[in-house]
Amino acid sequence: MEKNEILKKVETIFRSVFDNNSLVLTTETSALDIPEWNSLNHMILISEVESAFSIRFKLRDLNMMRNVGDMIDLIASKL
Amino acid sequence: MFEEYILNPFLNAVKQFGNRNAFCIDGKFHTYNEFAGYVSTIQHALSLKKAGNGNIGIVVNDDIETYASIWAVWLQGYAYVPLHPIQPIERSQEIIQQAEITIVIDSSSQSKITGTDIILSSELEIISDLITVVETSPDSLAYILFTSGSTGKPKGVMISRKNVGAFMRSFWQTGFKVSEEDRCLQSFDLTFDVSVQSFIVPLTRGACTYTIPHDQIKYSYVYGLLEDHKLTFGAMAPSMIRYLRPYFNEIEAPSLRYNILTAEASPLDLVDEWANCIPNADIYDFYGPTEATIYCTYQKYNRGKDNKQLNGMLSIGKAMPGVEAIIIDDDGKPLPANQKGELCVSGDQLTPGYWNNPEKNKSSFFETIHNGKTERFYKTGDSCYFDDDGDIMLSGRLDHQVKIQGFRIELGEIEYHAREYFKGRNAVAMATGNNVGNTILILVIEGKESNTDGILSYLKTKLPPYMIPSGFRFIEQFPLNASSKVDRIKIKSLLNL
Repeated sequence: MEKNEILKKVETIFRSVFDNNSLVLTTETSALDIPEWNSLNHMILISEVESAFSIRFKLRDLNMMRNVGDMIDLIASKL
Repeated sequence: MFEEYILNPFLNAVKQFGNRNAFCIDGKFHTYNEFAGYVSTIQHALSLKKAGNGNIGIVVNDDIETYASIWAVWLQGYAYVPLHPIQPIERSQEIIQQAEITIVIDSSSQSKITGTDIILSSELEIISDLITVVETSPDSLAYILFTSGSTGKPKGVMISRKNVGAFMRSFWQTGFKVSEEDRCLQSFDLTFDVSVQSFIVPLTRGACTYTIPHDQIKYSYVYGLLEDHKLTFGAMAPSMIRYLRPYFNEIEAPSLRYNILTAEASPLDLVDEWANCIPNADIYDFYGPTEATIYCTYQKYNRGKDNKQLNGMLSIGKAMPGVEAIIIDDDGKPLPANQKGELCVSGDQLTPGYWNNPEKNKSSFFETIHNGKTERFYKTGDSCYFDDDGDIMLSGRLDHQVKIQGFRIELGEIEYHAREYFKGRNAVAMATGNNVGNTILILVIEGKESNTDGILSYLKTKLPPYMIPSGFRFIEQFPLNASSKVDRIKIKSLLNL
């Protein structure tokens, strides 16, 4: 899957978790840009992404994730 | 006491351990010498201004200038009032107005604060590392923390220098041994008082403080710090540990020597599992309202043995040295063991009161004769009892205060703003558990279901992120109880919350 495709799919997940259909993600988007991106929503995001892509993150992977770009690279590495 | 337990040990640490690391912030290390440079520079800038009542606002970013500002304020004889950059600016301005703040120190490149003198701390040129101590009375304030208020406005808890000194003296008396070799976690927002313990302990011992950047997800970042930097000391909220639970089999942190669980009740089953991830740590549960300065009761967790619990939550143990705890009935009379009542605490850690709030000061504190002496007590609002050994068992709240990630929240404050928005429609806020067992907020609105975008964005301009409801529900007409009040219990069961 192309990274662009992954981004689109991740964007759909973000829109549903944050209940915001106008949310536009870039690789630079981080928790600073989305005030609701807290530990609770992060946990929900992670489990939604895991099931959408049929992958499983390790805690070490999560720790490396600083923004959406990191998340996409990580997903790509697991596919 | 503030000099003896906080300022002097810090100055000694600077002198003795100048080349050792004082901070690791966002992966970057800063030595004690560097830190002292920031402190003295900000102190100098502060000394050139007229500080009014001595309450200095600090915009609490996660950077070296912010921590240096706190120490500069203390060394200059003033008190700090933290203003969180993520909370709505309206709330910060409300706090500035209430505390009559005339100077704000902000490390942001551009400050969002208006109407006060601003010191942009990151633009100051480092001048020297000469720190001076401006003498002041022990009754002068060290900080004011604004917590949620049920009337719709945050209320300020004043903590004096004597309070913080008494706390640190008591904390060391409980037996912790921390040295310049330690690496200590600071995982709490600076608007929350456990942060004060989390940076004073290392900085008065020459140890290094590791902080959490605001753009990071706390639980995974803390794991990274434990793993990469082999932390040895850290206070954590159980709700953060709960997020780590699905990954416990990946976590092994033998370097951790001390782990303090605090800010909310500790579930025994969680602690039992967590203890395996930190095999060498002494685990403690510490309890305390902001009004009694950080912590006031504690107990050590017994590894592999029975631990006292009530409804699955660890006992909060006994009062710390210098603190007295009693449990009273509705008439204010002390209760014997095994009878439930309100926990009240006294001692040198007790706040002088709420800032400019005579009503609340009258209702929250009282004097009584205890052990032959007249003592002033604070009513915690926590329902507790002593067991036969004198250990305190915590059973819940007597009012509508809830804790989200350790933050105290008055449901009434959320409801106040919701009613303001709806102008006439009633709304109640409720706390409920999410799928991992952490507490979340739901706002229940009376009337027909309608779009919630408007109320959501309104609340975001009034309340900090941790007070924003995670969901909205509707009930055509609220059920009432026998005394014609909205029946919260019924609503909860109607909605399966």
